[in-house]
Amino acid sequence: MNLRRFSLIAVPYLWLLGLFLIPFLIVFKISVSDIALSIPPYTPTLELSEGWGGIKDFFSQLDFENFEFLATDDLYWKSYLSSVQIALISTFICLLIGFPIAYGMANAPKEWQPTLMLLVILPFWTSFLIRVYSLIGILSQEGMLNQFLMWIGVINDPLTILNTNIAVYIGIVYTYCPFMILPIYATLIKLDGSLLEAAEDLGCSRTEAFWRVTVPLSKAGIIAGCFLVFIPALGEFVIPSLLGGSDTLMIGKVLYEEFFANRDWPVASAVAVILLLILIVPIVLYQRNEQKMMEAEQ
Amino acid sequence: MRRLTWFNATSLTLGFAFLYIPMIVVIVYSFNESRLVTVWGGFSTKWYGELLQNEAFLDAAWVTFKVGFFSSIIATVLGTMGAYVLVRGGRFYGRTLFSGMIYAPLVMPEVITGLSLLLLFISIGLDRGMFTIILAHATFSMCYVSVVVSSRLVSFDRSVEEAALDLGCTPFEAFRLVTLPIIAPAVISGWLLALTLSLDDLVIASFVAGPSATTLPIKVFSSIRLGVSPEINALSTILIGIVTIGTIAASLTTKRAVARRQREEQMAEQSA
Amino acid sequence: MPETAFEPWNDPDAKPLIQFRNVTKQFGDFTAIDDLSIDIFEREFFALLGPSGCGKTTMMRMLAGFETPSAGMILLDGQDISPIPANKRSVNMMFQSYALFPHLSVYDNIAFGLKRDKLPKDKIDARVKEMLRLVQIEKFAQRKPEQISGGQRQRVALARALAKAPKLLLLDEPLSALDKKLRQDTQFELMDIQEKTGTTFVVVTHDQEEAMTVASRVAVMDHGKLKQVDTPERIYEAPNSTYVADFIGDVNIIEGHATAEGDTVSIAWAEGQPPIIGTPSKPMGDCKVSFAIRPEKVAIAAEKPQDRRNLVQGKVLDIAYLGNLSTYHVQLVNGTVIKAQASNTRRRASLPFTWGDEVWLSWTDTAGVVLES
Repeated sequence: MNLRRFSLIAVPYLWLLGLFLIPFLIVFKISVSDIALSIPPYTPTLELSEGWGGIKDFFSQLDFENFEFLATDDLYWKSYLSSVQIALISTFICLLIGFPIAYGMANAPKEWQPTLMLLVILPFWTSFLIRVYSLIGILSQEGMLNQFLMWIGVINDPLTILNTNIAVYIGIVYTYCPFMILPIYATLIKLDGSLLEAAEDLGCSRTEAFWRVTVPLSKAGIIAGCFLVFIPALGEFVIPSLLGGSDTLMIGKVLYEEFFANRDWPVASAVAVILLLILIVPIVLYQRNEQKMMEAEQ
Repeated sequence: MRRLTWFNATSLTLGFAFLYIPMIVVIVYSFNESRLVTVWGGFSTKWYGELLQNEAFLDAAWVTFKVGFFSSIIATVLGTMGAYVLVRGGRFYGRTLFSGMIYAPLVMPEVITGLSLLLLFISIGLDRGMFTIILAHATFSMCYVSVVVSSRLVSFDRSVEEAALDLGCTPFEAFRLVTLPIIAPAVISGWLLALTLSLDDLVIASFVAGPSATTLPIKVFSSIRLGVSPEINALSTILIGIVTIGTIAASLTTKRAVARRQREEQMAEQSA
Repeated sequence: MPETAFEPWNDPDAKPLIQFRNVTKQFGDFTAIDDLSIDIFEREFFALLGPSGCGKTTMMRMLAGFETPSAGMILLDGQDISPIPANKRSVNMMFQSYALFPHLSVYDNIAFGLKRDKLPKDKIDARVKEMLRLVQIEKFAQRKPEQISGGQRQRVALARALAKAPKLLLLDEPLSALDKKLRQDTQFELMDIQEKTGTTFVVVTHDQEEAMTVASRVAVMDHGKLKQVDTPERIYEAPNSTYVADFIGDVNIIEGHATAEGDTVSIAWAEGQPPIIGTPSKPMGDCKVSFAIRPEKVAIAAEKPQDRRNLVQGKVLDIAYLGNLSTYHVQLVNGTVIKAQASNTRRRASLPFTWGDEVWLSWTDTAGVVLES
């Protein structure tokens, strides 16, 4: 191994070790520390200057109190559950909205496709915050949606949508929809049109051909899209804090408030550790799906 | 097979209406004379004027720009190196850990990334400010750059690099003269992605920014919490405009490149 | 030996350009090259022939410097080349995919290697122009690789590899990407260019026809070992094993037991069939043998020929009409199928034989090869 190769590997490696892995271990460490009224607001701190004694002291004081606390206080349980619920339902709605769009795009005239693609990508590059913000004006009491509904006479009094969980659902679906559309479109566009003709030739009706050929063959894209919506939605902070109400429980928001409002770093860290544990399963499943898609392409 | 049925036309229309109406409303109301955000009071550009006089916004924008500029450059360099190591690095000790660290930040909730970096900066006693935001942004966007660049590296014929070595290049020359020009489009899109991610980021920045450095998203977030305002509408319109022009320009460039390639392929066939 | 013959491998004083000395290459548990030794001489057009995975590409990559031997030594001009990296070797390679630099013009692709040597500009220009002329692509000098056809790309790749005037040029499946017609024309051009430049060529191929056409010597490889190294006609007419006989061209192989009868052997091979008389290349005792005979050396006739010792009768089972030739699959009484080939010298209204015809097959005493098995 020569020096050049060594440094090529070492530079990004050390950067990620120092700024990704080690910070992570610190979170883990603080999650098993106690809160203290000092700076930093937790103990014990690792005193390397005290040598072996310091390290031993450090470890003997670690415990899982914070996790026990999370287990006993039902605020945390409820926020985890409600995060999972919100993420799951929004993923499902995203699929219901995203699939027809992707399908429509894939079946649109060929010369339209670049433009349609551009229309999906554009929101993707647009600031997330601004897109969430644009919903506030629509969903508020005197916003466009209520005005529209009253104008067509569906309702007489304005609905309260903003600052409820409904607004959170709308927000997640609205902002993450492109993540659902793009992978499904990518698999649909690769679908060989002659397969559908073959299915019809063999006696399928067009609807049957859709369910028996198109849907199974776009499965990988559907799965990828679902994970791409579910994973970030689970830890979402901006949407619940701008669109949700005070009773909207999402774990990202709880973590943020625990850290900044309550200044309880150990509990915030424990919340983060558990959030990560919940995420590991979908992340691993997602990676496996990606691998399968890559192998299928080769 | 490609025909626009009623079902497809409806789903496309409704779908894109859903995606675009909120943004269009923001753009329209940024030209509203009235401060009331739901009542149309006539056309005016005065909110743009006010926005440009708002020192706090301008300062935040300048900080955001500097952070985006530096962090995206660092991220592009590190991310390209990372992609090269992933795809061409061969076997080395800790390779699995390395690829894990490249892919993990892509799916990591921002609150966790932000929290962990903040705790790191505090425990090593680094003062929070623009520098820490740059470090944080460079770290997570380098992973995106790596993914974009490595997908290009995977798809290109390794023997082209070997040909360069065979013709007398040192490995570094082969990278500079052959690999880099070929993967340049991917490196540029990686850089653009890193820049956009940095300019957009709210959560990580609000963890690692100290009182001395406020980025535009942090500033916008705190004013949105107070409600809808015409200045924010104006700001949003400017940002949406920049992104729209950029995206359309990029897609036109690609379109032209594709057209050129088609012409060239025709030429090749004729000359055969 | 006539003066025109180019046969340095038969000259004990000739110094080989390349020597493999007991080279072994392992990838993990897999042995790609197994204790292999070979000499290749200057100005040779040497072909490495074998099925995929036989180790031929590994040998070439070791010559180019992309792989290092696990054991043994490779000498170029008597010098061990293992410590020399790929970019310092006076060996150039033409890649199977051509590996042209897509961002550089044809001209710059050819000039690429010369520029690395820091030659003066006018020298580079002169050399590039010479190369463009050699492979007849002057017209396309300013085009990019994707603006020219597959055949032209192949020429650019060749010109680029030759530009540095290497001692040794390696060609990895040089013609595999071309269609059949173009491939045949290009084979002759390749030979012509090799002769003009006097460069030693080592070509790797899985296409036996290509190897037979272009090469001065062919090495047939299997599982990391050399099966036979010889001139194309000796490989075809005097294969040293059933593997080589079977790999090159079409062949009938008959197993039997040989009994020596002076210069010839009598091979008993089936109940009720007369023994086959064959001529081994060197005297052999009684042993089990394989008798290999090419279909075109088996004569087919409706009437029983009078003067042949090797004579069998059978029924036509199948006919493959190839235009210039027809191959007849003839089934003997005991079930064995023997292939015989006859050229179609006359435009015909009907084939001389048809399915189910009773025919006689015959061959001379020296038509087949007797191989100890």
